[in-house]
Amino acid sequence: MSALGRAGTTEYVDAEALDWALRMAEPRADWDAFLAWLEADPGRSARYDHAVSLLEAATDMVRDQAFSPTVSNHTSSPSPVRRHWIGGAVAAALIAAIGFGVWHERDRSYMVATAAGEQRAIRLADGSSIALAGGSRVRLDPVRPRSASVLAGQVLFRVRHDASDPFHVNVGDLELTDLGTVFDVRLLGDQTHVAVAEGAVMVDPRGPKLRLGPGQSVTEVDGQLRRSQQDAADVGAWRDGRLSYDDAALRDVADDLSRQLGLPITAAPAVAGRTFNGTLEMRGLRDDPSVLGALLGVEVRHEGSEWILDERR
Amino acid sequence: MPPSGLELVYLENRDRLVRFLRARGAGDVAEDLVHDLWLTVSTRSEGPIANPVAYLHRAADRLMIDRYRSRSQAEKREQAWEKDREGENFMMPTPEREVGARQEAERVVAVLNALGDRKAGIFRRVRIDGVAQRTVAEEFGVSLSTVEADLREAARALITLKDAFQ
Repeated sequence: MSALGRAGTTEYVDAEALDWALRMAEPRADWDAFLAWLEADPGRSARYDHAVSLLEAATDMVRDQAFSPTVSNHTSSPSPVRRHWIGGAVAAALIAAIGFGVWHERDRSYMVATAAGEQRAIRLADGSSIALAGGSRVRLDPVRPRSASVLAGQVLFRVRHDASDPFHVNVGDLELTDLGTVFDVRLLGDQTHVAVAEGAVMVDPRGPKLRLGPGQSVTEVDGQLRRSQQDAADVGAWRDGRLSYDDAALRDVADDLSRQLGLPITAAPAVAGRTFNGTLEMRGLRDDPSVLGALLGVEVRHEGSEWILDERR
Repeated sequence: MPPSGLELVYLENRDRLVRFLRARGAGDVAEDLVHDLWLTVSTRSEGPIANPVAYLHRAADRLMIDRYRSRSQAEKREQAWEKDREGENFMMPTPEREVGARQEAERVVAVLNALGDRKAGIFRRVRIDGVAQRTVAEEFGVSLSTVEADLREAARALITLKDAFQ
C-alpha cells in the first residue's frame, strides 16, 4: 500500500505521521526532533504531507460546520469539566457553544473577551487574526465573518485583505473599512483611537471618509475627529508591554492600566482630569505600581488591594 | 543596506534549511526552494518574530505542504478529466448537492457529539483557535497527555468521516 494512496475505500490513517502533523502545528514545535525523524527514513516526508492534508481537511470540516446555518441544534448541559474551563477561557466556551448550536435563531454573534491583565490572540475564520489586550471585548458574527465590533478595551487587527470583500470594524461611534492589513483600535474613556501600522484604513466610509495610512492615527471624541501621527512600529506595542497615551485623562489612563495590568488602579477626583502624554512600560509597573508616581507626576497610595493616584502633598 | 535581523538568521541557517527541505522531499531543487522561501518570507509583512529559526523552519515546512497539495490537486484534476473522457463523470444536480452538504454538516455534528464536549472542545481550541496544547490542558484542567490523546482521537474520527464523503 502506498503511503499516499488509499486502501480500498478507507483512508489509511497513519498514526505515527498524524502524531507528527499534530505535534508540528504547535507554536513551540521541536524542529530538530522532526528533522531527525524525517532523515531516518526518506518515505516519512510524504507520509507526513499526507497526514497534514488529512488533518487540515478535518479541521476545515469542523470550522465550516461551526459557521454552517444548516446544522441541527444540540444543547449540551454544562458538565463540571465545562464549568472548569469557562472560568479559564470565556472565548473557548463561546466558540464551542457556537459549534454545538447554542445560539439564537437570528443573532448568532458571540463575544470574545479577555480578563484584566490577560492578552489573547484569535484567528478568525477568514484567516485574519486579532489580538485582544486585557479587559477587552469583541463581538464576532459567523454570518458576517468579515466584520467585528470592538466594545471595550484595545484590539490589534491583522486583516487578510480582499478588495472585493473589505473587512469592517465598528468601534465607538466609528465605522472602519480595512484597505489592507494591520491596525489597532482602542476605546479609552470617551475617546476612540485608531492607528494604522501597515496598509490603510478608511474611517467612516459613509461619513467624513478619512483615509489613514501607516503611522497615521485618529482620535474621536464627541463626534470630532483629530488626526495625529504615531510611529508605525509603535502601533500594537501594547503586545510587547508598551502603553502609549496621547492627551489621555488620568482617569482613563488608570482604567486602561487596570485592564492591561490586571491591577485595580483609580485616579482620585483631584487628578482625574489631568492629561498625560507618553509611553509606560508594563513590566516595571506590574512589579511596583508605585513608580507611576514619578511617571505621571502624582502620589500613589496603596489602600487595601487598590492603587490610588492622587495629588502630591 | 545592512541585512535585517531575520535576514541574518536566514543566512546563518541557510544550510540547515536546505537540509530540512531535502528531508522534506525537495531533493535536487532544495537549493532553489530555499531561495524562494527567503523571497516569500522577506516580503511578508508580519510583526516581530519571537523565534526566527523556528519561523523559517515552519515557513519551509509550509512551502513543502503547499507543493504536495498542488501536486495532488493536479493529479485529481487529471483523473477527473480521464473519467470525463470515459463518460464516468457527471455533475450532480444542484439540489442534490445541497442536500449532500447538509447531510455532511449533520454528520460532522454527530461525530463531534459522539466525541463529547471535552474532546471536541480541545480539538477546536487547538486546531481552530491555534492555542498551544499546554495552555489548552490548563484551560480544561487535564494533563498534556490527555490533550494529545483527545486530539488524536478527534482527528482520526473526523478523517474517517471525511473519507466516507469522498
